[in-house]
Amino acid sequence: MDTSFKWSRFLKFLAQRWDEILQLAGQHLAVVVIALVIALVVGILIGSLVWNRPIGRAAALTAAGIAITIPSLAVLALLSPLLGLGWGPSIVALAFYALLPIIRNTVVGLREVPAQIVESARGMGMGRTRILVSTQLPIAWPVIMAGVRVSAQMTVGIAAIAAYVAGPGLGQYIFTGLSSMGSFNAVNYALTGTVATIILALLIDAAFIVIARVTTSKGLRA
Amino acid sequence: MSDTVHTNTGFFRAISSQSAGVSLELDHVTKHYPGQPAPAVEDFSMSIEPGELIMFVGPSGCGKTTTMKMVNRLIEPTGGSIRIDGKDVLSLNPNELRRHVGYVIQQIGLFPHRTIAENIATVPKMLGWKKERIAERVDELLRTVQLDPAAFANRYPRQLSGGQQQRAGVARALAADPPVMLMDEPFGATDPITRERLQAEFLRLQAEIGKTIIFVTHDFDEAIRMGDRIAVLSDRSRIEQFDTPANILAAPANEYVSSFIGQGAALKRLALMPIAEAKLGPAAGAEGPKISIGDNLRDALDLLVLSGAPRVLVTDADDRTIGTLDQAGISSVLGATVPVVGAPAVTP
Amino acid sequence: MTATIALPSVQSIRARERTLKVMRLVAPPIIVVLAVALLFWWISTLPLDSIEQRTLNPTYITARIREHLILTFVASLLVAVLAIPAGILVYRARSAWVRGFFLTLGNIGQSTPAVGVVILLAIVWQTGFATALVALVAYSFLPVLRNTMVGLEQVGDDVKEAARGMGMTRNQVLTRIELPLAVPTILAGLRTALVFAVGTATVATFINAGGLGDMIVNGLKLQRYPVLLTGAVLVAAIAVLIDWLAGIVEDFVRPKGL
Repeated sequence: MDTSFKWSRFLKFLAQRWDEILQLAGQHLAVVVIALVIALVVGILIGSLVWNRPIGRAAALTAAGIAITIPSLAVLALLSPLLGLGWGPSIVALAFYALLPIIRNTVVGLREVPAQIVESARGMGMGRTRILVSTQLPIAWPVIMAGVRVSAQMTVGIAAIAAYVAGPGLGQYIFTGLSSMGSFNAVNYALTGTVATIILALLIDAAFIVIARVTTSKGLRA
Repeated sequence: MSDTVHTNTGFFRAISSQSAGVSLELDHVTKHYPGQPAPAVEDFSMSIEPGELIMFVGPSGCGKTTTMKMVNRLIEPTGGSIRIDGKDVLSLNPNELRRHVGYVIQQIGLFPHRTIAENIATVPKMLGWKKERIAERVDELLRTVQLDPAAFANRYPRQLSGGQQQRAGVARALAADPPVMLMDEPFGATDPITRERLQAEFLRLQAEIGKTIIFVTHDFDEAIRMGDRIAVLSDRSRIEQFDTPANILAAPANEYVSSFIGQGAALKRLALMPIAEAKLGPAAGAEGPKISIGDNLRDALDLLVLSGAPRVLVTDADDRTIGTLDQAGISSVLGATVPVVGAPAVTP
Repeated sequence: MTATIALPSVQSIRARERTLKVMRLVAPPIIVVLAVALLFWWISTLPLDSIEQRTLNPTYITARIREHLILTFVASLLVAVLAIPAGILVYRARSAWVRGFFLTLGNIGQSTPAVGVVILLAIVWQTGFATALVALVAYSFLPVLRNTMVGLEQVGDDVKEAARGMGMTRNQVLTRIELPLAVPTILAGLRTALVFAVGTATVATFINAGGLGDMIVNGLKLQRYPVLLTGAVLVAAIAVLIDWLAGIVEDFVRPKGL
């Protein structure tokens, strides 16, 4: 069988499956967004708790730093016996990896809020939580957003691997390509999966630039 | 004071309804940080009348800021008591307390992510004021500190100059109309010209509203210029002298206070005295440069020296000459018996 | 909210910072050693069936580790040798368009899923170790190139100008000033490439390139969880250790005063 790559065959492949591709892209986006939201909430929470406690901060950052070097296939495979296949282990694993940049940037961002602003807020009678929520986090927001952007890029790539445990998204095409190696569509599957993931990653990154801009106070844009 | 004032909420309600100052008493206040050999503030006692602008002057590290910060409990006293309008501040909720005490610091601390209007509205919002009342108040305050509301209300702090930010900071502290204000070198970060303008504006403001204010500064001239009474402080916030500017200049309690006054004490005193205090010579047939009776004696001396004239003519509001003033007349106000050039500091 | 503030002395703050620094330095290897020790102890208490015995023995495990490490280090070495000089060349390119092009390419490279590159290459060429190696190098090439460029670009113009003003040739400025100052960024890029390499080498199991990924995949497929766990813990341990060592080298090679 002629398994070499031909443009005509590739384009025909795309035309036949464009709705499925879009569906997978949608799933890929969904799982990334869900994981990011979880990581954002948990990450900001942890960051807010430890940012000015040296011991807690060192512990959280070291733990997260170690966690992020663990190969994603290992984490996904370990979660599978516990959470089965599909969305479950994928979301947990993705949120796990997305945490570090967010925790780190939350800590850095909060530390960079000028001390006199916190002092004047205290002097005005704001309680600690109120100062955190109404003053420190908004001012640290641009830095936190930068962390979310990095997390997003990472998560899109790891989501592709999650297809191994039947995770949703474009990774499924990549693995279909693998399992159908030798057939004439194998390369088309793998290529589509890979390129579509890249395009999705770039689109998400562009979206984040806009989101960061929109959610940041005008007074903070340099 | 009604019965309800004895409860904490009642106290704050009563305080909120007054915008003029209330009394402030510090009684043997001490601050001792654990692990430090000496206390930062030792046995500080002071009684402040409603509406007084009290200056705390002293070198860096003497404890003046620490003392001030104990009034709104940003720093907790380790001993003694502090009473606002008779109420012990230690019995009040700290956050509630701070919403009723204006607080201005040197670096201002305007929230960069909020507009000027939102900044000013911060405490009123926390106190639950209605939106219309807040908007009115913001407008009023911006006008008071000479920032055009139409131009500045919706700008962000980074779009304002240093002097404008300082004024916005003062407006923010005044927003909820607190009867007590604490100011820690609020004009310190500006250039001398802006600082003088801010001082003048602030004095005008204080003349209108009369709040009880503790104003910390290391600039003695600022203290002389602005304070109703000045506390000259040394290590551990020890009060070396607590008196009106005129009295301190005329009779410094010890060498430490004198060192603050530095050279030119007489001239500084003269700046505080209006011409009306001097005995004027006869006006008939006199000639010379003119000065209004509303000016002070140092301006008169200035005019004498610059013009080289033997005397100046003092005029009233309608520019009619009502008398003359020469250097002897000026010196006698200070109490000098022999106006000899190069003489040491005058004896009262 | 009403606690008295205890002001620690400057010395005690410094001492605590030093302790934390030491602890952060020492934490990764300690955790790795504990995890691996715990794993082996647990395995030794288990009755192993024949399938597990075939995998959970020293010969098999060391073979997989060897494959994994060779793949990781050879790929990283190749990347360093190829991408860093390429980065220097692109940085020196006169055209800003060329530099911009490669920077954009580098950013795209970061968005590429490694597993896609590996599998795609295997399909069009062949499965096996060589393919995995090529895929790894291709995947890590752009990020290291990008970091080299960025590292060189962030050297201040004032420093470069001062050097030229002292009469250094362009090559001397490069070797004596720009490269040393760019070393931290370049090394950071290499460190990331190394960690990526360990991760991607795990995925290389899908194209029959060996490595610890074999244990993970087989363990999962055959539902032999001890095998799965061993593969996962070992690959994680290797990744953490390599990252830790790279961090130490990074600190060591960093020019003093930076």
